[in-house]
Amino acid sequence: MMQRDVASFAFAPAVKVRLISAGFLTAKDICDLRPTELSKEAGISQQEALEVLQEVRRGPAEQGAAESRLTALELLEREQALGTVITFCSALDQALGGGIPVGKTTEICGAPGVGKTQLCIQLAVDAQIPGCFGGLGGQAVYIDTEGSFLVERVVDVATAAVQHCTLITKDTEQREALQSFTVETVLSQLFLFRCHDYVELLAQTHLLPDFLSQHPKVRLVVIDSIAFPFRHSFEDLSLRTRLLNGLAQQLTQIASQHSVAVVLTNQMTTRIGQNQSMLVPALGESWGHAATQRLILHWEGKHRFASLYKSPSQREATVPYQITPHGFRDVQLPDPSVTPADPSLTPSLNSRKRPRGEEGDPSDA
Amino acid sequence: MDWDQVELNPKVVHAVKRANVKTFREVLSLSGPDLQRLTKLSHADVHHLQKTVAAAVQTDPAVTALQLYRGECLFLEQHQKLSLGCPVLDSLLRGGIPLLGIVEIAGESSAGKTQICMQLCLSVQYPRKYGGLEAGAVYICTEDTFPTKRLQQLSSLQHKLRPEVPADVVKSITFCDNIYIEHAGDVDSLNSCISKRVPILLSRGLVRLVVVDSIAALFRCEFEAKDALLRAKHLLAFGATLHSLSHRFKTPIVCVNQVADAVGDFDLVQSNFGLLDKKVLPTLGITWSNQLLIRLMVSRTRFSLQEWLPGLAAQPWHLGSVVRTMEVVFAPHLPQSFCYYTVSIDGVRGVKEEPAS
Repeated sequence: MMQRDVASFAFAPAVKVRLISAGFLTAKDICDLRPTELSKEAGISQQEALEVLQEVRRGPAEQGAAESRLTALELLEREQALGTVITFCSALDQALGGGIPVGKTTEICGAPGVGKTQLCIQLAVDAQIPGCFGGLGGQAVYIDTEGSFLVERVVDVATAAVQHCTLITKDTEQREALQSFTVETVLSQLFLFRCHDYVELLAQTHLLPDFLSQHPKVRLVVIDSIAFPFRHSFEDLSLRTRLLNGLAQQLTQIASQHSVAVVLTNQMTTRIGQNQSMLVPALGESWGHAATQRLILHWEGKHRFASLYKSPSQREATVPYQITPHGFRDVQLPDPSVTPADPSLTPSLNSRKRPRGEEGDPSDA
Repeated sequence: MDWDQVELNPKVVHAVKRANVKTFREVLSLSGPDLQRLTKLSHADVHHLQKTVAAAVQTDPAVTALQLYRGECLFLEQHQKLSLGCPVLDSLLRGGIPLLGIVEIAGESSAGKTQICMQLCLSVQYPRKYGGLEAGAVYICTEDTFPTKRLQQLSSLQHKLRPEVPADVVKSITFCDNIYIEHAGDVDSLNSCISKRVPILLSRGLVRLVVVDSIAALFRCEFEAKDALLRAKHLLAFGATLHSLSHRFKTPIVCVNQVADAVGDFDLVQSNFGLLDKKVLPTLGITWSNQLLIRLMVSRTRFSLQEWLPGLAAQPWHLGSVVRTMEVVFAPHLPQSFCYYTVSIDGVRGVKEEPAS
């Protein structure tokens, strides 16, 4: 620990440069000095010297989680323990490896009307599904920049989700959980923020960590959409790129530090190729690296498809989906032997892990 | 930016001013290390500065969806809607037009777009319990001259269109006096209209509806195909101004758009066809559709009123014998659906019946 490089500590760049050019290269060189001595030697202010010494003298156990040692297995277990937010479309959940991952950022792109907001509202409801039904039992934050969050639609989706859980309830634990999983509680645990321009969005992102600390049950943060406030009033595109990169970093950090799934929606724009035009996600090439996972929703004729384009752990896949009055759902295949009794309810919740030993009960579907 | 409204250590404020960081926007747009470098403040001070400024910018508190549903949230009114003046059309839209956001009505010529807009300008003037907003409307014309005679005819027949409203209420509203007609022949005058004159009318509470008929005309004429980027930039700025007006004054904005033939595979891929088969798509591309809350498309069917609903056609106030469709192409709270409507002497009415064929 004493041999640790000064450059590897999280000091401001200006301070680091001063320390290194004054000859302080490792933690050992610094930790025995007094603040006034360090301040004089390195040419930094007293306040800065104090901060440097505090940081250097902290034992490894007190330093950030990023600096403690974890094996890859421990990391994998931690990730799996975080869980996922299901989408209620079992084909999409399967392609995603269970659902939208908690602790990571996921981007959803698509043309207007294809269903981005519908999926976001579905996720905001699904994050609240109690644990004994295979959900996370958490709360949700929805940051609306376009004004497309209409509460009557949330009521539709919440009602259908509660009804679905009511129909598949089997044991007392689930019955009890249902007492606190009603349309009213779902609405009361969905926090809405409205941002009208990029400055308000930047401000909201600065305030988000404190909000999440005060509301530790939040498991999902949706920003719908991140494109809208950034697509006008930027004469200087490099400023926009810098702001977006900063935002992406902050959101990635928030996702992992507060164990929330961060979902961002993006618009599509036209890119003129040599002979043809293509629809591509907006916000530029470098934004493509911002989120951990990228989902693109698109039309083929009258049918809607979701394609998983970028994911570190899942294969690329394209699955069909539909938007029903109940929300985001699978497309029911017209196979009579598999059709469930009520086609508007999907069996996706039943395929999730269940705490008891009720294995593959055919009457579930 | 007002440094007095934030509670900050004077030393911090002084350091920020000395670093020539003048606005809240700049404080939030710079990264932590950049701010530290410019102001020579400590990491903790900069962190506190950014959070304090953020709290000053984002003043609206967090609201739960339940509070929104119960109407307890003053800055986000979602239950009130603007009625179209016809119960069938209103039920297609689950109550009417939401107060916040841009609604587009696209369709071929003589499908009835202007008729629907004029009906909205009348409907907005009714009291709230009849689906209005108790104020007038601004109608921005960019193509033909405004059909004033037709408006006068419609306002004199309001009692026929809206039998559910007591006659004395209808009589007390001087419809034509509350509709302000503006003309804009090019993009610049349109921008100056919506950024200067319209806000004055809105801030005085004289109007609670803005209609732009049509946006297509100006943007398609002034920009050639090679100026696609420039056109996109203007469209985005125009959309942003409309959004900010809509939010500031809780006012619906209705924009009329033209349609063009759907050509080639590209249009097939990008377009949301909606339920009905169509060979035309709204103009102005995805740049414009990204800014809309609701897209409605209207078109003429091949059904004539006489052959389909002979009972209805015989009544004296049905003119223009072709039945039309109004379709919801996308909306956050509505499924894709459509209904039929007719244009009669007293206005636009939805038709619940289906054609026999």
